Amino acid sequence: MKKISAYPGIIYLIVFFYLPLLIVIVYSFGFPNFKFDYYIEISKPLYFKVFLNSFILAGITTISCFLLAYPLAYYIALRAQKWKNLLLILLILPFWMSLLLRTYAIMNILNTFGLMFTFTAVVIGMVYDYLPFMVLPLYASLEKLKKSQIEASYVLGANPWKTFFKITLPQSKSGIIAGVILVFIPSLGEFVVPAMLGGTYVTIGTITWDLFLRYHDWWRGSALSMLYMAIIFIALAFYMRKEGKIEI
Amino acid sequence: MMQIFVLIVFTILYAPIVLVIISSFFDAGNFTLKWFEDVFQDEKILKAFYNSITLAILSTLFSVILGTASAYAFLRSKMKFESLFYTPIIIPEITEALSLLLFYKFLSFPLGFFSVLLGHIAFNIAFVFVIVKARLSGYEKSIEEVSLTLGANEVQTFFRVTIPIAMPGIVAASLIAFTLSWDNFIKTVFTTGPGFQTLPLLIWSQAARGVVSPSLSALTTLMLLISMILAYFYVRISIKRE
Repeated sequence: MKKISAYPGIIYLIVFFYLPLLIVIVYSFGFPNFKFDYYIEISKPLYFKVFLNSFILAGITTISCFLLAYPLAYYIALRAQKWKNLLLILLILPFWMSLLLRTYAIMNILNTFGLMFTFTAVVIGMVYDYLPFMVLPLYASLEKLKKSQIEASYVLGANPWKTFFKITLPQSKSGIIAGVILVFIPSLGEFVVPAMLGGTYVTIGTITWDLFLRYHDWWRGSALSMLYMAIIFIALAFYMRKEGKIEI
Repeated sequence: MMQIFVLIVFTILYAPIVLVIISSFFDAGNFTLKWFEDVFQDEKILKAFYNSITLAILSTLFSVILGTASAYAFLRSKMKFESLFYTPIIIPEITEALSLLLFYKFLSFPLGFFSVLLGHIAFNIAFVFVIVKARLSGYEKSIEEVSLTLGANEVQTFFRVTIPIAMPGIVAASLIAFTLSWDNFIKTVFTTGPGFQTLPLLIWSQAARGVVSPSLSALTTLMLLISMILAYFYVRISIKRE
């Protein structure tokens, strides 16, 4: 009996989420004709450059976010004491602000420094927008870290660096992987930040926008999206094989 | 050392937002509310505000009903394919947005308010499902069994026992669903048609050219205020739960 109440939700998702994805596949093969041309076309250098651009941007964003987020998460989880709750709230608040508005806010600053429409501007905007997505999972994993292990490491004569690389870092692995996924995947397809701050820096996000909303080229756009999704699913499958399941 | 680093990062995180808010109250160095007056007198903004709020309320309402019902079913009976509800969260928003656009084109479904709303509901169902299910899983099934043993039927038990238990989760999920819909840009812009504009779309159409204007900052300030009110209620519920 109880099962029935699940069906409206499932049917809704099938109709308005899974069926549309199926239609993307259909279009990527040249609907209403069947051809493979669009996949061949998107493997040409022009599109390769777009993917390369996106990977460079997403890579720099992820690494920068990680380097900034780790000390931050470490401090909040293990050192902050009475400030902990305040810092946590300050960390969660950006999740409630729209990415568009936060990008507009950083645009004001970039304008002041005359950085608008440069690659630097895009990177700053990306790191600014995605930093909270890296800090939170790192915080969650560091929070679970057993302080006694760190103390034991010190007692046994290890220095702080050795303790960090042998105890802290390995134990926060799940948080690192979750953070990397939460930042890398969306920043790979990010549209708002490069379009608003970058001018001519073409990424998967901006070319998807152009193909669909400007040129109404459903076929090339679909093939490109399929390739993008394939990359994501390969990355996720690789992660799930290692970790068993995804914790967000 | 570390404290200074943390302080700097948080300053960088909040300075741009604080500056936008401050700038919306000043004109050539003098305090003024005229940018806000501009916002409230702008017909286009008021129309977009009305559209955004209608969209957010309706998508929250439908997604909470559908998502809660599904979460309950998955938790109380052995059902497969739970991952059906996780894919919409994992998949990049732009992919979901363009697939909906193609779907509507394929069916020649007119683009506008309804096409946007139907898309928002799909995305929100997944979030509601995850949040409500997490909330319900903390409770013992036995409470419901007691209710059934004492003679209440399944429907009564659901509405008198399960729903009140799940309420904090449902409220939290509603707040998140509302915010996701209220702030949404990518999915809205792909699935909208001529004549239906929301606040994020309006902000985009002006800010995309790299133009910073005080009245745009005033609008941003107001939108942030609404987000912060929603976040405040969410934090209050979360603290109570602990």
